[in-house]
Amino acid sequence: MTIEYTKNQAIFKDVVRVDEAEGLLEWLQKKSAAKIDLSACTHLHSANLQVLMAAKTNVTAWPIDAEFADWLKLALVNH
Amino acid sequence: MNPLLEQFLSEARDFLQGIGEKLMQLEKAPSDTELMTELFRFVHTLKGNSGLFDFPEMTRVLHAGEDLLDAVRHGQVSYSQDLADRLLDAMDFVGMLCDEIELTGTIGANYAVHSAGLTESLQQLNSRVKDQANDHFDPAANLEENSGTQAVESGNIIFKAPPEALSDIPESLRMAAYNLTRSGSPLHWLVYSPAEECFFQGEDPFFQARQTPELLWGSIVSREPWPKLADMDAYRCVLEFHILSSAPRSTLLEYFRYVPDQIKIDQLSPLSVIIPAGDPNGGPIYEDFVSDALELLQANDTQGLIRAAQTMLELSSPDLWLSSALRWLLLVLKLNSDNKPVLTAIIESLLSLKPSDWIGLQVHHHPNELAPAANHSLEPDTVQGIDPVSDLLAPAKTNALLTLVATQREILMLPITEPWQIGRMKAVVATLSGCLVTTNAMDQLPELELATEASIAKGITTPLLNWLDNLFYDQSDKTSHHVKTSPDLEPKTPPVEPEITVNSDDTNSQATEALDGDIKYGRRAEDVTVGAKSLKVDQAKIDRLMNLIGEMVVSKNALPYLAGRAETVFGVRDLSREIKAQYAVINRIAEEMQDAIMQVRMMPVSFVFQRFPRLVRDTTRKLAKEVNLVLEGEDTEADKNIIESLGDPLVHIVRNSLDHGFESPDVRRAAGKPAAGTLIIRANQESDRVIIEIVDDGKGIDPEIVKRKAYEKGILDETTLERISDQDAVNLIFAPGFSTAEVISDLSGRGVGMDVVRTAVEKVNGSIALESEKGKGTRIRISLPLSMAVTNVMIIESDGHLLGIPMDSVVETVRVTRSVVRTIKQSLAIVLRGRIVPLKSINTLLGITAQPKLNADDEFAILVVRLGDESVGLLVDNFRETVDIILKPMTGLLGNISAYSGSALMGDGSVLLVLNIKELLQ
Repeated sequence: MTIEYTKNQAIFKDVVRVDEAEGLLEWLQKKSAAKIDLSACTHLHSANLQVLMAAKTNVTAWPIDAEFADWLKLALVNH
Repeated sequence: MNPLLEQFLSEARDFLQGIGEKLMQLEKAPSDTELMTELFRFVHTLKGNSGLFDFPEMTRVLHAGEDLLDAVRHGQVSYSQDLADRLLDAMDFVGMLCDEIELTGTIGANYAVHSAGLTESLQQLNSRVKDQANDHFDPAANLEENSGTQAVESGNIIFKAPPEALSDIPESLRMAAYNLTRSGSPLHWLVYSPAEECFFQGEDPFFQARQTPELLWGSIVSREPWPKLADMDAYRCVLEFHILSSAPRSTLLEYFRYVPDQIKIDQLSPLSVIIPAGDPNGGPIYEDFVSDALELLQANDTQGLIRAAQTMLELSSPDLWLSSALRWLLLVLKLNSDNKPVLTAIIESLLSLKPSDWIGLQVHHHPNELAPAANHSLEPDTVQGIDPVSDLLAPAKTNALLTLVATQREILMLPITEPWQIGRMKAVVATLSGCLVTTNAMDQLPELELATEASIAKGITTPLLNWLDNLFYDQSDKTSHHVKTSPDLEPKTPPVEPEITVNSDDTNSQATEALDGDIKYGRRAEDVTVGAKSLKVDQAKIDRLMNLIGEMVVSKNALPYLAGRAETVFGVRDLSREIKAQYAVINRIAEEMQDAIMQVRMMPVSFVFQRFPRLVRDTTRKLAKEVNLVLEGEDTEADKNIIESLGDPLVHIVRNSLDHGFESPDVRRAAGKPAAGTLIIRANQESDRVIIEIVDDGKGIDPEIVKRKAYEKGILDETTLERISDQDAVNLIFAPGFSTAEVISDLSGRGVGMDVVRTAVEKVNGSIALESEKGKGTRIRISLPLSMAVTNVMIIESDGHLLGIPMDSVVETVRVTRSVVRTIKQSLAIVLRGRIVPLKSINTLLGITAQPKLNADDEFAILVVRLGDESVGLLVDNFRETVDIILKPMTGLLGNISAYSGSALMGDGSVLLVLNIKELLQ
């Protein structure tokens, strides 16, 4: 598992693969005030990304890789 | 070589074979869409697989083939012989590359030229027909659809209205992009809309987007409003990617080549990124600054203008719209200070606090019109077809440029006769690319390079001339118009500052780091474990199994001897019986095992047959003959060695038949035959033999010619010449020494003798026979054993010797009383079930003087064997059991004794000689 779920937070690590998207969606459907920690994430499969975009989640930490973080900020912050 | 590559090569060969077959079938049914789709799928998969490795030469050719087939599949290009020829050539080339890779592990650089040539020949076919389609049908629709490739080919790059989203890009990034354009990079706006089901095809569009070459900026949006989270389908892709890249169009197209239908690439004018943005701060109040700045600009006081702008910038808050515009002004001043229209437009935009309308500016270059044009939006429709060379170029400079280009054109018109003159061409190219850089038309550089490559490759200047004419002379009207309307501007030397700011450098290196870095593809485990139903096993492993089972069969045969010894030597009867019982079990298992291994080694004859459609097609086209090939019984199976040994002989026979058997269509018609001949290659199984027949309805073989030639060659003496039947005569072509080119120019002509064919067939215990009727055709019949590993022989006794006779030829064993044997002249015979069977004594045949023994009941032991279509009885002393042996051919000195086909080792260690009945009786 490359997403670690705690009570109210999902921590993404390394490369989050396509098969995580379903679990992530289910988890987000239950948690309306979920927080996302992306600091240890290096890549996120598009399916996970669109789930995050649709859920308009609150990202508390951005990836270290600046270029990757720019992509995500544009996609996730403006909503 | 790594296992993946090995697998690729083995699969590639299968695919190439499949592609060849499908092309052949398509030739007969060009409109069969199912075949077409399958063919496309083969090429597509092969291309995809080749992409796993670094074989650009191979991938490029396959890619072109795939494109072409795709066009055919969609009805844009029609199937033709020419197309099939080129595709077959391309596939042959790929096959050659496969061989090369297998031998050396890589592809030599010398193949690049071939690869490019083949690719071009495929693309030509594609584009030529496409162009035709454009002329005849719906140019607009096609243009839109193919804009990706067409724009590159024709050189008409369209500056679209800048996408709104451009203003979302941070100013620093846009400035970096502008900087890059000044140093020669094009700017491309790429919209990538992945297919909804792409996740199920293992794609990760985000990953793809992140890796875009020369990525400057990218954003991700949703194509539709987000549904409620409860209704969302995580695996239906609704994302769309907007990407700004400074890579050349061709690079982008190459990078997204697997999803060409999902991307849209627009070239941006460098100016389109100049979008000041920020807080208007109560509206435009900068009239004083604007008029001062315009004056300074008119007076060519660049330094003064820079100072004024800097002062103004220092006084203003950096978030203001004004500050943003000033920063752009300073940047343009620094990079391109004599581009007055642009500078004027930026300064004047301060009056309205609206971004300048660069498109309008590009259309209406005239300085006097610039002011109104800058502030009023124009019809976007007029935007298309902007002349890339005259992009905001001072008219006098345009003049100079046109003169320069005209001179280059004249140089290009000179013929190239000496190799050194290629250098002249290169000089022209250097000048032209300089012109392009100066005139801000860097996006034309890739096309220029393409034209140059083509020119150098062909040694003629035509591609370059075409490119030049396309670019400059189609639009010369417009350019000269500028010259007339604005004659009063001074010429200036064009400043080119290939400066890249540190900022943009950073962006780039970051991007590349991310690409090379630690991103791994997440693959699901179940993707890989889709079980294969068939195994590919190295032949050596099967051969080893085969040898082992052979040894086991021999050692198993030792058990009956042991049982015999237990009884006779040690006198333990019970043990002997038990050993025999055990032997029966082991024997059964061994036989089944042997059968199973045989099955593994069995291959359908289609393995050999599949090469014939191509061979027949190519040869007949070369010879201008018409031949229909009919293949029958392709699924007949035989041992792999047998099948493989069949390949070359069959090719010789078929070639001979095509070359000399079939007449030309005219001759055939004159003889009252259909113009197209029929060649039948038929395989079927007769008991434990495989029979291959090659039947043609050509002109047949004239026995008289063969007889005469044979006599001339000394193969026949005079008496035989008189006696020999026509049937036997035509079979003389198999005689060694008969076939040299000049002898049978009407039979063979390639110096490949039919005796070679016969030798090859007989090597695997096969036989070959030929029937021919003059004027009607020829039938060649090859008979081969199903397998050659283990031979079943019957053991007989003769004067105390044990001899083996292959069970293949044994019909039955009978015992007859002496009184039944009759004497007809000198020969013995019996009547067996109403048929006369001649008798021969094995002793006499082998030169043994002893008489055949009779048993206690005064009976002869007669082994009836098959000899061709006849039966012959062999008088032997006694019959023994049948055994499975591994027959080893006679070698060395013994090799010349044709009465024996070989020897085998028996279970008790003795050697059994196996008779060659055919040789013995003839």
